Amino acid sequence: MSNENMTTPDPNTESGSRVESQTSPRPGSEVVDSDELNRPKTSETVVSSRDLDVFYGDTQALQGIDIEIPKKQVTAMIGPSGCGKSTFLRCINRMNDLIDSCRIEGELKFEAKNVYDSDVDPVALRRRIGMVFQSPNPFPKTIYENVAYGLKIQGKTENMDQKVEDALKSAALWDEVKDRLDESGLDLSGGQQQRLCIARAIAVDPEVILMDEPASALDPVATSQVEDLISDLAEEYTVVIVTHNMQQAARISDKTAVFLTGGELVEFDDTQKVFENPESQRVEDYITGKFG
Amino acid sequence: MSQENNTPDFVGRSGIRSAREQSIKWLLFGCAALSVAVTTAIVATLLFDAIDFFLEVSPMAFFFGTTWSPTIDQAFGVVPLVAGTLFVTVLSACIAIPVGVASATYLSEYASRKTRSIIKPALEILAGIPTVVYGYFALVYLTPALEWLGLPLSTFNALSASIMIGIMIIPMVSSLSEDAMSAVPDSLRQAGYGMGATKLEVSTGVVIPAAASGIFSSFILALSRAIGETMIVVVAAGMRPRLVPSPFESLEVMTAAMVQLVTTDIAGGSTAYRAMFAIGITLFAITFAMNLASTFVASRYREEYQ
Amino acid sequence: MATGHDGPTGDWFGNSEQISRLPGKVFAATCLAATLFGIVMVAGLLVYVTKDAIRPLTANPGWFLVFFLTLVVPSTALLAYFGRRRDGEATVALTALGIPFFGLLLGSGVLMLFIDVIGIFEWLAFVAATIVAVGVILGHRRVRGRTSFLEELLVGVVALVGLGPVTYQFISTFPTLPQAWLIYLFTFGLGGAAIAGLLVARRRNDRRAGLTAFTALFVTVTAGVFIDPSTGITPPVWVILFTFAAIPTALYAEGVVRRRQGSLPVGLFFPFVVVAGMLVGAVLVDLLGFAGPQAWLDIQFLTSANSRFPEEAGIYPALIGSILMMVVVAISSFPIGVGAALYLEEYAPSSGPLSVVVKFIEINIANLAGVPSVVYGLLGLALFVNWLDFASGIVVVGGMTVGLLILPIIIISAQEAIRAVPGSLRQASYGMGATRWQTIRRVVLPEALPGILTGSILAFGRAIGETAPLLMIGAAASVFRAPNGFFDIFSAMPRQIYTWVGQPSQEFQYGVMAAGVVTLVTVMISMNAAAILIRNKYERRS
Repeated sequence: MSNENMTTPDPNTESGSRVESQTSPRPGSEVVDSDELNRPKTSETVVSSRDLDVFYGDTQALQGIDIEIPKKQVTAMIGPSGCGKSTFLRCINRMNDLIDSCRIEGELKFEAKNVYDSDVDPVALRRRIGMVFQSPNPFPKTIYENVAYGLKIQGKTENMDQKVEDALKSAALWDEVKDRLDESGLDLSGGQQQRLCIARAIAVDPEVILMDEPASALDPVATSQVEDLISDLAEEYTVVIVTHNMQQAARISDKTAVFLTGGELVEFDDTQKVFENPESQRVEDYITGKFG
Repeated sequence: MSQENNTPDFVGRSGIRSAREQSIKWLLFGCAALSVAVTTAIVATLLFDAIDFFLEVSPMAFFFGTTWSPTIDQAFGVVPLVAGTLFVTVLSACIAIPVGVASATYLSEYASRKTRSIIKPALEILAGIPTVVYGYFALVYLTPALEWLGLPLSTFNALSASIMIGIMIIPMVSSLSEDAMSAVPDSLRQAGYGMGATKLEVSTGVVIPAAASGIFSSFILALSRAIGETMIVVVAAGMRPRLVPSPFESLEVMTAAMVQLVTTDIAGGSTAYRAMFAIGITLFAITFAMNLASTFVASRYREEYQ
Repeated sequence: MATGHDGPTGDWFGNSEQISRLPGKVFAATCLAATLFGIVMVAGLLVYVTKDAIRPLTANPGWFLVFFLTLVVPSTALLAYFGRRRDGEATVALTALGIPFFGLLLGSGVLMLFIDVIGIFEWLAFVAATIVAVGVILGHRRVRGRTSFLEELLVGVVALVGLGPVTYQFISTFPTLPQAWLIYLFTFGLGGAAIAGLLVARRRNDRRAGLTAFTALFVTVTAGVFIDPSTGITPPVWVILFTFAAIPTALYAEGVVRRRQGSLPVGLFFPFVVVAGMLVGAVLVDLLGFAGPQAWLDIQFLTSANSRFPEEAGIYPALIGSILMMVVVAISSFPIGVGAALYLEEYAPSSGPLSVVVKFIEINIANLAGVPSVVYGLLGLALFVNWLDFASGIVVVGGMTVGLLILPIIIISAQEAIRAVPGSLRQASYGMGATRWQTIRRVVLPEALPGILTGSILAFGRAIGETAPLLMIGAAASVFRAPNGFFDIFSAMPRQIYTWVGQPSQEFQYGVMAAGVVTLVTVMISMNAAAILIRNKYERRS
């Protein structure tokens, strides 16, 4: 990553200084977005942030992020390593709470409620927003137990067999594992493990599924299976996916957000527009491979 | 805050769940904090009786007195006991330190995975054998064997007890030193080999110096264990306090004096009974200081390589 | 790890020149010798003391020959055959022998408790109280919906502590009480068979298989009760040994058969060969009149109390004392130790004011592990005997003192096991909306349990040999009957050995004491072996 060609001041960098005025959320204030008219599907926003700053200790990981993630679409987040895209993803379901040194300012709304309000229970929040991780991490339990895990911890134990079957079918895994549900999840191949993790996440029927580079540890065949699955999932769920693979973002997403080094969100628009006709020169440079 | 009508269901902490989580958290914290309570209790109980003791016997007479004869002469000079303890500790260190470091070097630098997987459990068992058994070995087998070799030993003697203590603490030295040596990054070894050094030169010239603070901390810990060792000396070294100990004769160490006091019939509140606690707190202070020193030294090598 | 290659590299300059390989080889040999020094010396001493305890030279050579032919030759040959087949049959064979062996050891321990310590009606009252307590908790849960963990704990403890004595009183007013054998059968036999049945049902995903297993086991255990008591197999002996040895073995065999699916696991027959060899050997020796060794370590030694006469001296009361003490040690140290480790690894904050406290606690635990055991003994004496006014030298005081002694060891090893659980599993669980405790209970603990058990068993092995703390709290030098409860005066095996040290006669020094030492070391090494087996089994899997 070369930081040298990033000397041009960007309007978004000023957002850090606007934090002070942002201490209390302004109810009813409409976020005016110039891209509003260009959207192919008009759809409601499910997750939105305004002036979101994130710090790890003294280093700032995200600077003044404004974004509106539409419902039941795939939103991709791309950018070079260390640009804060995963950090943003983990802000949405408050996984960053598990890191002691992490501090968050600004506002991040899920269904019109700031998730960092003091009365929000992060545990309940995560039950509504599922997550799939970079490398497959099934529990060392049986396949069945893996999928049933979320149902069990939430006490939704009625009709469990059916729900497990549905989740595995939605994750396009049912045909491969239906005869060996009592084998360990670790016995599956990498791609199957990742689809098992997706099945685990959707078994509890969340609204949003966050995916943190879900295919980065997989071979090409498994990757394309997971990509197909993501497209299917968007019919029922809102999917937010972080990826370092631009082609992948272009293939599967409806919207693309480009983060660049320093933790800024430089561009957020329809995927087609971002890739074919980006507004920012830096984004164009990044996408055409001049740096990054 | 302003969500009156349409409150999402993730708002508002679930009271029961939160209470349950909090109660578990504090219950577990209580378990962890109990260790502090144990330390406090040790210090408090020891101090309580030790202070009474020092009101009756001046600390000067205790720490600098050269005669230990608590029941007969009411003489409470701890110097002979400290001398005996130091003597036994040094003798056992003479065995444990070289053997322990050599065996750590072997395990870390030379042994194959398979050899290690056999030797390490064996060393664990060595460390797990009850000390009274080691004492029995020293008394019943080692002393006669050494006599047979021509050493002028009395039945209870410092030498065989020290040898057994040395053997007992070998696993401690070797496993902690091996940890330190394994933590030395491979790049340092590669650098050594790259300069054309032999394995011997890399082991002694690169790995051991790089792991020095970890190895040193294992010495301190092992010696503190030797100082606190009780049953081997009680069984095999006898109970005769001496200002100038000899390896061939019996002697008395601090721990043995405590055992002697508690197993002879002394009255609960007598000075001799309280002397036990005075020795106890001295022993506790010495070992605690050594452990702290070892932790401090060990933390330095962790900082260097991790 | 070491990456150097000092092997010969063919003809190259310097091959025969200045760089001598000799010092390196000498150094390596010295290091190896040093590594083996302690191990070989102690192994030699153990062989020696075993020789003194068993006295093999007093036996008729024919005795050895008979057992060599009936026991050693067939079982070694079979094992060698299994080993050459390389399909894991040798492991199956050894496990099939090991499980009943450890089961018999454990079962004998429990059996001794029932013969000497726990009254049958106390046991009945305890079981009844437990059932009521579980019932109360379940009922409570149903009434209150989701209850807090502390509430459940409180209800459970109140139900147990409060109900136990009351139930005992209540039960002792019954005009007619069930016969002892019925109580054993329905507490141990029924319980063991039910657990086995549930396990089988779960493993096979088949309720009927579970029911069959349960019925078969329960019918067998019931039938055994009617064996003629004059054979020595009284109902409690049969029921308890069956529960602890036969049921786990049957479960293991069932697992092997299920996994093999079709091909017969011949390894399972290995224990039969061993037992048959022993029986045949015993019969032959008896017929031919070959005398066995005049061992000091024999049934008489294990079952009688100490005596002035070496031939009559035994270790039985001290053995029971040690078992009782270990019960107290385990109860007082294991839950607290694991709890503390869980807090330090899973909850402790890394910043903020509490992190200073946590740091202090961690340093403190490391230092507590190095405090001499004799100082713990003084602590036990002052705290439990002088301040809390317990009687000196009773089982609970000894157990709690030694429990405090091994607490830091358990905490540290449990911390290591918990730390080894990958963070990605925790992340996955939190990401599903699990709370911290749910994550711990369902993900972290099951993964860390083998490691925690290994460390704890090693610590218990150390606890059983601790002597100095027992001297300090005034455990009896010698008791002539087993303690009949947790508040009775006791002696433990190492304490009894120390008593014998004071007996100057040759018979005591080289005979009785050797037998005592071998008993103690055997118990300790079996515990270590069990710990190492658990560790190896689970290391291989992950």
